[in-house]
Amino acid sequence: MTAPMQIVVGYDGSPDSEDALRWAASVAAELGATLCVAHAVGLLEHAHLVPLSAHEERARSVAAHAGVDAAAFEWCVLDGEPASVLCRLAEGADGPVLLVVGTRGAGEHPGAVLGSTSLALAERAPAPVVVVPRGPSAEIRPRRVPDGSPRA
Amino acid sequence: MLIVAGPVGASEHDGGSHPERPARVGAVLAGIDDLHLGSDLITVDARPATRDDLLRVHDAQYVDELEAFSRRGGGSLDPDTYVTDTSWDAARRAAGAGIAAVDALGARGEGVAFVVVRPPGHHAEGARGMGFCLLNNVAVTAAALTARGERVVVVDWDVHHGNGTQEIFWDDPAVLYVSTHQWPLYPGTGRPEEVGGPGAIGATLNVPLPPGATGDVLLQVMDDVVAPAVEAFRADWVLVSCGYDAHRDDPLAELMLSSADFGALARRVAQFVPSPGRLVLFLEGGYDLQALRRSTAATLGALMGDPAEPEAPTFGGPGGDAVRSAARDRKRALDEASDRLHALGSLDAPVTVRRRDESGGAP
Repeated sequence: MTAPMQIVVGYDGSPDSEDALRWAASVAAELGATLCVAHAVGLLEHAHLVPLSAHEERARSVAAHAGVDAAAFEWCVLDGEPASVLCRLAEGADGPVLLVVGTRGAGEHPGAVLGSTSLALAERAPAPVVVVPRGPSAEIRPRRVPDGSPRA
Repeated sequence: MLIVAGPVGASEHDGGSHPERPARVGAVLAGIDDLHLGSDLITVDARPATRDDLLRVHDAQYVDELEAFSRRGGGSLDPDTYVTDTSWDAARRAAGAGIAAVDALGARGEGVAFVVVRPPGHHAEGARGMGFCLLNNVAVTAAALTARGERVVVVDWDVHHGNGTQEIFWDDPAVLYVSTHQWPLYPGTGRPEEVGGPGAIGATLNVPLPPGATGDVLLQVMDDVVAPAVEAFRADWVLVSCGYDAHRDDPLAELMLSSADFGALARRVAQFVPSPGRLVLFLEGGYDLQALRRSTAATLGALMGDPAEPEAPTFGGPGGDAVRSAARDRKRALDEASDRLHALGSLDAPVTVRRRDESGGAP
């Protein structure tokens, strides 16, 4: 298995997105991949009608704690709905990409087990997608075995 | 004659300090009052959309969950989009208002209708609300028309791309969806290469524009790119997703139109209408109340032959290159899509006709 060159994780500051970020960061550190933390700017955030949060600082901290080198960390901010932002980043990447999202993002979309972003990505993402579940299963990490290939 | 359907949302679906707020309806109604239309103004009530109306464009599960969510008191669908205990009833009436407008126009055989409703609709996809939108008002009306065998053009000049309307009609050859919008900007869709699904190649037309674009650029889009596509499509109805957030005073985006530009756009779009009584405008975005009032008056004044344009038209902004580039990218995408279908042996005649006509008109 070839290690992904870039892991793109959606991050909106919600608890589920932070689970996804922790998972993505630990995988990126293990595989030596670049970690792109993607923040989708919505209507209110674009207009500065909600505070532009300290998401970047938090994301850098989580990534560093997981062992991601500062040079391998990218903070990617794009206007758009989260699924379209993640798809655009995957389409624009030079090499292989792995998309990572949490089960649900900010908000309380009624009813659905999965959030709308993870569902939309499952339908149309141009790259493999990992939906990191809540709870203990989010702690599953790949490990390198002695021959150098990763194994879950 | 102006038919106003609604209003809906003048007091309900209130998110407090949220910019998509009830006062927007008051501003639009003030703009209509400024025209002093007298007996030329008719108001029709917005009837709630039926479940059948909604299910032409929305998933049943989403509709049911949205209703239940609102009945429970609501909350946030996403960081932009709120639901309150009054949102479901408002959204259903907003979604039904366009059908009431169509019926009123049909009964009279003349006039223009303006659907004054909120929450807005064009971001709402079949299975999810987003971007301040819960139910897709213009799509519900367009689908009601296509169910009657009519062909519909939706012109969306809101500053944001109408991802929901595009998604709903992506593979429907009976609806031509046209959008001008700022790029990059939420929701991140609406590239020129997005031209429609395999069953409706060419029936989606996107022209993204850079921040700072002025009214002359929008008119260039209408004349050089949209008009040939609309002419080839041969619509029975023209619906407008009439957002006013491309106004230079709007806080949510950076296009630079004045109210007079909306009047000029309305005159252009009126030329697409095949016969009297077939033009319906739907309020979408627009968050500066004075800009809303002035732009409403300018739009409807232009359509009623009584221009009310206190602001001068705008020109000289960036975007001319973007228009030409969008036309080229669209043509390339149409060619590639047609080639793919040819390779599959499934290209049908109407698609071929539409692509050839439109390619000839693009710069």
